[in-house]
Amino acid sequence: MEQLVQTIALGLLVGGILALAASGLTLIFGVMDVVNVAHGALLILAAFLTWTVWREADLDPLLTVVLTTPVMFAVGGVLYFAALRRLRGTSPSMTVILTFAIAIVIEGVMGFVWGNTSHAVTPEYFTKSFRVGGLFFPKGQVFGALLAIAMLAILYVFLTRTWLGRAIRAASENPQAAQLTGINIAMVAGLAFAIGVATTGAGGSIISVLFTFAPGSHVQWISRLLGIIVLGGMGSLPGAVIGALLLGTAESLASVYISIRWATAVPFIVIFAVLLLRPQGIMGTRLREDVA
Amino acid sequence: MLQTFFMRRKLLLVAGGLALAMLAAACGGGDEDAPSGGQGGTSGEPIRIGTSLPLTGDFSEPGKAAEQGYKVWEKLLNDGDGLLGRPVEIVVRDDASQQNLAVTDYTNLISQERVDLLLGTFSSLLNLPASAVAERNQMVYVCPACGAPEIFERGFEFYFFSQQATADNQGNLYAEYVTGLPDDERPKTAAYVTQDDPFTAPVIGGLQEKLEAAGIETVFSEIYPPDTRNFDTIANSIASRKPDLVAQGSIFEDGVGLVRSFIKAGFSPSSFFQTTAPSLGEQYAEGVGAENTEGVFFAISWDENLETPVNAEFVETHREMFGGDPAEDAADAFASAQVLQAAVEAVGDIEDQEALADYLHENEVETILGTLQWDEAGRPQSEFLLAQWQGDGFEIVRPEEIATSEEIVHPKPEWGR
Repeated sequence: MEQLVQTIALGLLVGGILALAASGLTLIFGVMDVVNVAHGALLILAAFLTWTVWREADLDPLLTVVLTTPVMFAVGGVLYFAALRRLRGTSPSMTVILTFAIAIVIEGVMGFVWGNTSHAVTPEYFTKSFRVGGLFFPKGQVFGALLAIAMLAILYVFLTRTWLGRAIRAASENPQAAQLTGINIAMVAGLAFAIGVATTGAGGSIISVLFTFAPGSHVQWISRLLGIIVLGGMGSLPGAVIGALLLGTAESLASVYISIRWATAVPFIVIFAVLLLRPQGIMGTRLREDVA
Repeated sequence: MLQTFFMRRKLLLVAGGLALAMLAAACGGGDEDAPSGGQGGTSGEPIRIGTSLPLTGDFSEPGKAAEQGYKVWEKLLNDGDGLLGRPVEIVVRDDASQQNLAVTDYTNLISQERVDLLLGTFSSLLNLPASAVAERNQMVYVCPACGAPEIFERGFEFYFFSQQATADNQGNLYAEYVTGLPDDERPKTAAYVTQDDPFTAPVIGGLQEKLEAAGIETVFSEIYPPDTRNFDTIANSIASRKPDLVAQGSIFEDGVGLVRSFIKAGFSPSSFFQTTAPSLGEQYAEGVGAENTEGVFFAISWDENLETPVNAEFVETHREMFGGDPAEDAADAFASAQVLQAAVEAVGDIEDQEALADYLHENEVETILGTLQWDEAGRPQSEFLLAQWQGDGFEIVRPEEIATSEEIVHPKPEWGR
């Protein structure tokens, strides 16, 4: 029983962090129909920025979010206006090619700046755990998950309670109608992209504490994140959270109760199963073109 | 008209993005310098030695290190008396870590470039198909990193692996050390966990076999997929069985990940062995925390402080040429070239490849890794070095005659104290 609780707890902690990482990706897809393959590379970029700040200024890596978030927001803005804006109105497959190219460029730049070796951010608590009875809760994961929840809450409040947030949602749900009410769709799309990229600031900071990372690590992250948002429903923020928690616990349970060998395969089996029953994902809405 | 204009702009944008991407990939590639032959006591046409290396792609890091090792050997020879009095020229092709390109490269080197001799590429994965090209053309093929046991099952006559032992024997000295401990210090139970990889899995498999034969009970044995990132649950499963000894077949990130997860789970085995990861020095110490490295065992083929012939010169020339300490992979490549050199010098001829192969099957060769010798299938017959983290770096602790430290830390200090 203790083993089961421990396994689920570890899965949920990782799931919470995956949720934050996937939130930006699903937001960008929801508003812009852009499949941002560069999202993993941006996460790793934020991890490297965290590493540098932690090294140079000795600032706690999880506190660096106050720096990495605005920096990544700016990176997102630049990427949008320099490249992605030109793809507005084209098919999502076109955006895959462009963002894939961006991912490779970012990887090359990171290799040039930080070298192609593995890096790690190791604050004093990185190998410490909270202990409750026989259970352990790694501090890095707990702090990371709390930070992720806080960031997700801010994002949720922004999207539902502010005019700008509502404009973003309006643009995502019905661009033509939104335009008719006076929303500048181009600006809103740019803003949504920049906000989506800004979430990688906190995501990257958390990841830098929990895992080692190298410029090439982004490939593993993007495949997992895409899996999460397909599972949760492309474009749905609550869907991304549910998808991430499901994936985190499925992986954790599989490695203990089935076999470690199956741990990375089981989440994808879950995804297949969900998509067979609900092709639009758990929280996704069925669009007219899906039915046709 | 306007629409076509915009369409073209979009196309240009995509093409531009791809071009940038390729540029980034190309920047990572090695440059093919002209050889520095012709100085020293050499004369005549250079002897041309062809190799294909993964200078880009997944194995680019070891691939580039191997290129450096070959280039250091080329320079040392050309500054000296050359090979059979002639300068040498290493012709390097990039196989982008792709099996089919490695095959194309070697075919091209043999049939178009008409190189005189061959040197192997990096990793068992690439050497497996590439060596078949050499074998078909009856050319000696010495490779620096190709120890997966199944490679030697093909009955090749011209194939030689120039490290100390095949993967399944990499843990031999560790097994010997552990089983030789006095009864009260000897581990009673062991856990084995390895990445699903053609190199690491046989290392751990071989170790498990030996420790089981010596009566150490196996309480956990699992293989995890290469893309495993989170080791908390694995660490928790192992910790619940409380093994005295843990052996992990790790590459790098997985090695760091498991140690971190063990510490978080509050578990610390009294003896701990990993493949590869701990040999990556500072990266490893940074990853697991410098205070957690003490006492970790690993097998290694080379160390810069080894007192083998030419090793000091190799290290110094490498620093001069590339401005840094050589990687183990560079040393392994250098040793491959030394093996080829020894055969050529002994036979006194580069035409008779069969004679070169026969020489290597029958004789020992001195390299910077130590003395190497091979069986009829090209399996090396020596032992890897056993290293252990002690203080700020690692020491060679076995075999005793070349050990850099007489002490062995046992039991491993508890993690997280």
